[in-house]
Amino acid sequence: MKRTACRVASLLASLMAIAAAGCQNSSAPITSPRIEASVLMHQQMLQEDRFGLPAIATVFIPTDLRDAYNLGSPSGDVATFKSLIVAKLMAFGQDAASANALASALSPDVQPIDLSQPSNFLNGRKPSDDVITAELHLIFGSNAALNDDHVDANDAPFLTTFPYLAGPHVQ
Amino acid sequence: MSRKVVLTLLLVAAAGLGVTRFITASDHKDSMLLAGDPAADIADIYTFRSPTNPANVVLAMTVSGFIPPSEASTTFFDPNVLYQWKIDNDGDAVEDLVMQAFVTGTGGHQVMHFRGPAKASELGSTTRVIEGPETATVAVSNTATPIAATRNGMTVFAGVRDDPFFFDLVQFKKIIAGQATSFRNPGVDTFAGTNVLAIVVELPSSMLGGTKLGVWGSTSRPQL
Repeated sequence: MKRTACRVASLLASLMAIAAAGCQNSSAPITSPRIEASVLMHQQMLQEDRFGLPAIATVFIPTDLRDAYNLGSPSGDVATFKSLIVAKLMAFGQDAASANALASALSPDVQPIDLSQPSNFLNGRKPSDDVITAELHLIFGSNAALNDDHVDANDAPFLTTFPYLAGPHVQ
Repeated sequence: MSRKVVLTLLLVAAAGLGVTRFITASDHKDSMLLAGDPAADIADIYTFRSPTNPANVVLAMTVSGFIPPSEASTTFFDPNVLYQWKIDNDGDAVEDLVMQAFVTGTGGHQVMHFRGPAKASELGSTTRVIEGPETATVAVSNTATPIAATRNGMTVFAGVRDDPFFFDLVQFKKIIAGQATSFRNPGVDTFAGTNVLAIVVELPSSMLGGTKLGVWGSTSRPQL
């Protein structure tokens, strides 16, 4: 019922915008952006997924808490998830002090960046950063069998200019 | 096979063996809410200082992983999903500003609309589209030639690109399953040759209200 009402309101807003545009005199040409109706307007939305540091949720958040994590906010991460991260790191063989230090760096789950410094994971994240190997090193330390997946770069070269990501693979 | 199916298999295998999951892929969830909802499933988030202008910062988000070449031009954003970057600029892990993106249109004629960076009317897990004018719009790119648009000092892109993520997920699965004890060298990039839907924004860092930021991405849908 509420959604229907909102859609009607949204439609009305669009019609009014069209009408208003039609009333403009010729000395005031219509400028972009065009007003386009989005189904999202005036609706409350609920978060489905969130993402801060690569792999953190997948590695450290237990499956039965995954939806709670996805629906949650970083401001609650330390209280809700840090102890789980510490426990898992200790299960991987880290001592309590280093596990706690690493868990503090990983929660809250946001991507930290200091823009006054060059961007390199964990100071931000560039597409070319080998984040998996960096994280394997963090977790497995000097265990050479597991601390590097030996995939060091993307399969397609990144662009040096916007939008930076490589073009799609097409048939 | 979709990215999610691969990861679900991995997680099931790991659970079945009683092996603790270390790392699967970047963020490819086995969440029930996200199962079957690739358009809302964030694959990766990137935040970096612009290589072409040190006064700018680049925000990138990828969703809908494992798009094969045969579907590169026919996989689209979902008009019912709000894509957001949330930016904390005072160190409390609460968003001070949000950057929003959403599409209108269907098929190969989608337009991505951007609002913000601006204060959000609601914080945390519920959200609304920011009131007021759009800060940028761009036609969604369905081909190898990227369409970019610049307005208000902000340059934006949305469309299909190569998946920038790289990882030997296949070997990792073997390790998890007890079929291997180490990575191979050289490794093989499981994500090679696959595509994602990407949204990229380059904007003046000054618009984000600080030098030290915490950035995260989210996807949201209207509540039923």
